Amino acid sequence: MENSIFNANTVPVLEQVVNFAQKRHSILATNIANQRVPGYKGRDLNVDRFHEVLSEAIERKNNPNEPISQGLVHTKEGDPMRDVQDSLNGILFHDESNLDIERQVAELSKNQTMHNTALAIMESQFRLLSVAISERV
Amino acid sequence: MISALDISTSGLIAQRERLTTISQNIANMSSLRDANGRIGPYKAKHVILETDHQLATSSGAAGVKVAEVRENDVEPKRRWQPDHPLAIKDGKWKGYVEYPNVDMTEQFVDALEASRAYESNVGVIEMTKNMTSQTLRILA
Repeated sequence: MENSIFNANTVPVLEQVVNFAQKRHSILATNIANQRVPGYKGRDLNVDRFHEVLSEAIERKNNPNEPISQGLVHTKEGDPMRDVQDSLNGILFHDESNLDIERQVAELSKNQTMHNTALAIMESQFRLLSVAISERV
Repeated sequence: MISALDISTSGLIAQRERLTTISQNIANMSSLRDANGRIGPYKAKHVILETDHQLATSSGAAGVKVAEVRENDVEPKRRWQPDHPLAIKDGKWKGYVEYPNVDMTEQFVDALEASRAYESNVGVIEMTKNMTSQTLRILA
């Protein structure tokens, strides 16, 4: 029962987005913390790959031939959160690290915006649910 | 999410350690004897940072730590002061006094860099706090 309530709307998708954004935030925080380590190479998660996997999962879920209420969106296979890739920053500094702090901070705030947007939408979904439960507007 | 806080904190600790070492270098820029009273100029110290995998998460995030504090190998500065009580008595540098190899400019640039790095870690902590409080708003 509650499975179908939470699966009928976009909550599982938003949940994945929030999860991904939080993991990516940890990794970008790692880059900032290690900015003065000689030879440290910046790390990142592949956002495009994540979007691909997520949209595939949504397609699969919306397929009318699939059995109903399949559960949460599956992004486990080829989980983009495991694809930790070197971030391609270009300039290699003399101490063999390749972090440009401006870009890292920009990525951090982009990631934060994505995270907070997903949460804001999720919150309004839950508000709708609670209105439906209390039968009041 | 909480691991991001730990990681930024490890960055703060590492940068504070750097600043402490720099202030030690500047404070000792005229020390001619060590703590045990032996004659010999103070040697400038450098903090060496490395990635700390103790805090590592499955997705590859990791902290930073101070690997070691190493002494600078640069020759001490020598000044011609034959009347100085610690002047070298014989050999090639007779009449010279050895002063610490602390380069003020280098130390100040390092200090500036360390405090900026510290600030950027504080910025990330602010972001983490913001994201966490947004997440907690779901409960409200």
